This record gives sequence, structure tokens and C-alpha cells, in this order.
Amino acid sequence: MGYIVEMENITKTYAGVPALDDVTLRVKSGEQVAIIGSSGSGKSTLLRCLNHLELIDSGRVAIDGEPLVETEGGRARYRKDAEIRRLILHTAMVFQHFNLFGHLTCLENITIAPIRIKKEPAAEVRARAMELLRVVGLEHKAGAYPGQLSGGQKQRIAIARALAMRPSVLLFDEPTSALDPEVTGEVLRVIRELAAAGHTMVLVTHEMGFAREVAERVIFMDMARIVEEGPPEQLFDNPGSDRLRTFLQAVI
Amino acid sequence: MTSFFDYTVTLGPALLNGLVETLKLFGLTLLLAVPLGLPIALGNISRFPPFQLLCKLYVWVFRGTPLMLQLFFFYYGLGIIANNTGWLFLRFDRFPAAVLTFTLNYAAYFSEIYRAGIQSIDRGQYEAAKTLGFTRGQTMFQIIIPQTIRRIIPPVSNETITLVKDTALVNVIAVPELLKVAKDAANRDSNTLGYLLAALAYLIVTLILTMLYRRLERRFSRHEQEAV
Repeated sequence: MGYIVEMENITKTYAGVPALDDVTLRVKSGEQVAIIGSSGSGKSTLLRCLNHLELIDSGRVAIDGEPLVETEGGRARYRKDAEIRRLILHTAMVFQHFNLFGHLTCLENITIAPIRIKKEPAAEVRARAMELLRVVGLEHKAGAYPGQLSGGQKQRIAIARALAMRPSVLLFDEPTSALDPEVTGEVLRVIRELAAAGHTMVLVTHEMGFAREVAERVIFMDMARIVEEGPPEQLFDNPGSDRLRTFLQAVI
Repeated sequence: MTSFFDYTVTLGPALLNGLVETLKLFGLTLLLAVPLGLPIALGNISRFPPFQLLCKLYVWVFRGTPLMLQLFFFYYGLGIIANNTGWLFLRFDRFPAAVLTFTLNYAAYFSEIYRAGIQSIDRGQYEAAKTLGFTRGQTMFQIIIPQTIRRIIPPVSNETITLVKDTALVNVIAVPELLKVAKDAANRDSNTLGYLLAALAYLIVTLILTMLYRRLERRFSRHEQEAV
């Protein structure tokens, strides 16, 4: 009980190659989970299966206790499109490449979905968006277009856009991998503050130091499977498997 | 030199009438073909195979045959069919036949420009819209299409300028447009000055269009660099 995210026995193959092999991940309310692993280990895929950007072959996914997909007779059965759309609004994703809408100002990027999709009162949404712009330190960029921002600023706008949806869980898919080193810090600082404020989050990252710092639990994936998971100190200081040891030696 | 000037003045009103006819055909075609191209473009990338096939067939036929042949078909061909079948609604006067042909033909070209524009938008835009709860239709009309507009202005403007000159083709079904007026005058008066004046008129129209499109481009490039 009390799980925001339940992903159970998730299996997925890409053209015959396993992308996820019997992976189970549960996230409690207020928990911060980091997923680490080399490229192609399945960590981004796992995250993207949670909000229906990727489809699973079998297993079960539930968000806020409501099933998104369940397996009957060995086959994944998804709910109706409208139900899926409603459910994935319990999540909000921050992408590696920001994916801001280029034709909208920063403020409009943040407000469009709450106003047009969730049908919330425009004035209220705009006030909240301005507050979020302050949180990410970009209130002076409200009227700017994404094309006029640096990568770090774009990613902070993307975080504000995700927060404006008031999701149960924030999903970060390598949020700093496309950033120049000098602006990585400003994005990590915002994520760190959100973690400290108790936001539930799942973070796929290559930043080991950051994973150690913000996550209560770290998951190491390799070859489409979860190899090890536990508190950061345990994984980083006493890796229990050769694969994690090799990985950590390679990245640190 | 005086006769040169006098002849221009004499020919002026007729040429102006021709120009008006040309601009009417041009304007109506643009007005109808620009919107018609969109459903065809969407059909081409639709996930509904019958609709997709139909739109592909449409583009293939209208891009794959000469515009002049299409004019013959919609004016003479349909006229013959109308006479033989008694379906008189298939019979068009010269000008409506020209507008119909040009609209259908240019819609095919515009649809391909739109399709290319839509498909040039990054997949991440669709993904972000999806995670924010947008349906496919909402994503297309609120996120994707608005971002293609700036990208398609240059090819659309190019196509539009081609259209100005293509209108001259309708003199083959005797629509009294600019070039036909010039040609008739040349034959009647054994004086080719009319052609020169017509050329000048085309140049002025295309110059105005070029300037209009440049302004449009500037207006849409306020978010110059793409936000990936």
C-alpha cells in the first residue's frame, strides 16, 4: 500500500532483444529513486514504460494504485486511451532534450496543458506558473521563447512545466546529459530542492555523485535487468556484484 | 517613342482586365488550395490505411500529370461526360473549370510541403505533448502544426510564385487572362509590345509577393532558433 508507482515483472523486447527482463520497481510516496547503469541497460526504457511512451509485452504497471496495464493470459492489456491519458497525468516527465514547445513562450509552455488539457482556470494557472518560474529562478524569462534560452535554462523551464501539472511522481530521464558541464549545476540544484521538499521522483541519471546525494534508493540496471538496489551508501561503497563494481570503476 | 507610349495607353485597359482575371484566378486558387492541402497532408501520414491510400493516390495523379492536361480534362473532358450522361453539374464554364483544376493541382503540391514540414518536427515534441495529456489531434493542431508554419513559408512562397506564372496556362481554354490579352493584341496589331507589358506586370506581381512573404517570414521567426 501507499505506492505511487508499481511496475511488476515488466518484460519488453525490441526486435527479439530483451529491453526489460522481468523488472520490478515500486516507489512509495515521497521517495526519491535513482536508476543508474550503462547506456542500453534499459533504465530509460523502464521509465518510459511508466508513462506509456513505450509499451510493455507483459507485466503490470499501476500509478497511484490504478492499473495502467495488466497481463492476462501472458499478454499485456492496456486500458482505454482516455483512461491512459488521465492516468499518465499523475506523472510528469523531464526529458534529456527538454522538448519544450518552440512556438510558445516559457510561460505558455508551462500553462498550456493545465489550461487546455486539465481545464483549470487560466488566471490561477498563470499565477502558479509565475511562482514556479521563481522556484526555478527564471521569472524574468516568462515572455522569452525557448530558442532564446541556454540549455540549463530550457531544462529548468521543462521542470517548471512538469511541476505545473502537479503530478504524483516526477520522472527525470537523464535531465543533464545534453547539458554543458557549466550549466549542469543549476539544473541539479533545482532537482535537489525538489527532492528536499519531498517530491516523489524517479531519476535516470549518469551523475553518480548526484544520485548518491538525492536518492534514498539507487537501482543499478544492466542487460535489461535490475542487478542491485539499495541505499546509495551500500551500492556505491559496497557494491555486491562484479558488474556494478566494473560499472562504478568505469564511470567514477 | 510617341507611338510606343500611345500604344501602351491604348492597350492599357485590356491588359489591366487581363491582369484582373489573372489575379482572380491566382487569389481564388490560393484561398482554396492552401487549406485543402492540410487534410491531404494529414491523410498522407494518417494511420487509417484507406484514407492514406486515397490521399497518396490523389497526390500521385495531380503531381504526375501535366497541369495543362488537367485543364483539358476539367473543361473539355467533363463537358463531354456531362453531355453524354446528362450529368450537367459536371459542366463548368471556363473560369470555374480553371479555378477547380488549379485548386486541386496546387492542393496536391501544398500537401506535400505540409507533410514534409510536419514530419520534420522532432519526435520529442509528440512525446512531451503526450506526457502532458494531449490527444493525437490536440498534439497535431496545437503543438506540431503551429511549429511547421515558419518552416513551410519558404517552399509555400516558392509555389505561390509558380502559381502566378502558371495562370498563363489557362489561355488554352480561352480564359481572357493577362497573357491571352497580350497574345491576342500581338496577333491583331502585329506588335509584340503587349508581351513586354505583360512580362512587366508578372514581374511586379511576383515582386510584391516576394516582399509579402519576406515580411511573413520575419513575423514568424521571432522564435528563431528551434527549441529542441
